[in-house]
Amino acid sequence: MPKIENPLLLSLYSKVVDQVLSQTANIEEANRRLREIGHDIGSQIYLTTDIVEKTKDTLMTREDVAKLVEIVFRVLYDKRPTSIDMETARGSVRVTDASCIWCQEVHLEGMHGFGYCEVFSGILESVLAFKSVEARVFQEMCRATGADACEWNIRLL
Amino acid sequence: MAGDLERALSKLRTDDQVLGYSLMTKIGRPFVSFSFPGDLFPRVKDSIKLYKSDLRLMTIDADRGLVVLSPVDDNWILTVLYVPELQLGLAIAKTKNVMRLLEGIELPPPPEEFEDSAERNLEVLQSIAIKAASIAPTAEAQPPTPEAKPAYPAGPSPKAVPESKLLGPDDFQVLPTTAPKRGDMYSNALSLDSELYSEMKRAYRNFGFDVLMLVDGNRTVSQIAESMFQPNERVSTLLKWAASKGIVSVPEAKEKVSQEKMSPSMGRFVKCPLFEGDLGKAKSEDLRILKLCDGSKTSEEIAEAAGVPHPRVIQVLAQYRRFGLKMIGKTV
Repeated sequence: MPKIENPLLLSLYSKVVDQVLSQTANIEEANRRLREIGHDIGSQIYLTTDIVEKTKDTLMTREDVAKLVEIVFRVLYDKRPTSIDMETARGSVRVTDASCIWCQEVHLEGMHGFGYCEVFSGILESVLAFKSVEARVFQEMCRATGADACEWNIRLL
Repeated sequence: MAGDLERALSKLRTDDQVLGYSLMTKIGRPFVSFSFPGDLFPRVKDSIKLYKSDLRLMTIDADRGLVVLSPVDDNWILTVLYVPELQLGLAIAKTKNVMRLLEGIELPPPPEEFEDSAERNLEVLQSIAIKAASIAPTAEAQPPTPEAKPAYPAGPSPKAVPESKLLGPDDFQVLPTTAPKRGDMYSNALSLDSELYSEMKRAYRNFGFDVLMLVDGNRTVSQIAESMFQPNERVSTLLKWAASKGIVSVPEAKEKVSQEKMSPSMGRFVKCPLFEGDLGKAKSEDLRILKLCDGSKTSEEIAEAAGVPHPRVIQVLAQYRRFGLKMIGKTV
């Protein structure tokens, strides 16, 4: 079993997910609720970290968005994302993390479509909004449900 | 409506290769314009007059640049002026991207009188849309009432008519990862002279047809939405409607439990330990607990079955996490 990073965060987040799942009617709703929680956390992150100093006030291009994602990863997790894909779809930026911190050692069965790490989608959406970028972020793949890596799709509007 | 229109047109404003654009009426009068040269309006108007209702996407090679005209609907035409050096295919593709965004917006017809390209025209359009929306529900309310009573041949007993339950759009669950399949009515919906096609065209215009063309049982909702530069939600809404008509096949939403007293839940989310390590290497005092770790019981259930306190089970689980024991989350 690999060493768990940030066990306190994991335990707290696990509790949050348990609560969301007990209060929502279906997977879509659960995903949405987790994203909403991420939005709230995103505001706190923006206020308390140096993301604002390290990035431009307004982002104009997908390259700017990719740079912002790298900075968010560095500030929050002290690492880089596994990959940032801007080629596959012209209107999207895809972020992959093969060592996602949120779903470490989480194994889910029969919950296809559930984004265990959707909270990070909400965080990204929120931070992007502060940078005047309208986007929808959602988790496309999650290690907790069997994928090799967690993947988020930043769909630029 | 105005916000969505503004957002769609802003794609053109922020494009370096766009010199200007104009949203025009069907007779070529500019309604909302941005840096579109005035001397090009007569030429555009002539082209529109030439083709009238047969106007499709067309291009005009002007000295100032490449003009692409495309009808948005029966009332509106979008005209975009691109830089002269832009490739024709790219200009058409860029215009089609914006057209896709405009397809999702219910644009009311232009007012009888307006000032060409005036800034406040967008607000005028918004107020027309609001007025139209406030009238629409009363018009829709009347037709259903005559059809409200189904004609049962005898008695009020519902079991006398075992009809298959008609499912509405909300009865289906469509996630970004859902791969819709073609349903029985798929071919019918794509036939241009069918009633189903007409119904789809009225509700979704060309968007419905475009989405259905991409349904093949393999592409997910997310992939379809991405290839069309559309949000997942818009594609999901269409697919739910299409599923209710039998055009596509998607999973049905799980039945909700009676929600009078209970808050709705998808089932209890539990974590069940599963031991996949070597029982031969485990301590004898832990074997009873480890043998119950088969991924189907929670730690509380294991404690009860083994006849030990719950903290003892947690101790054992923590000890063997490094030796093949993992927690499986599931809903029951």
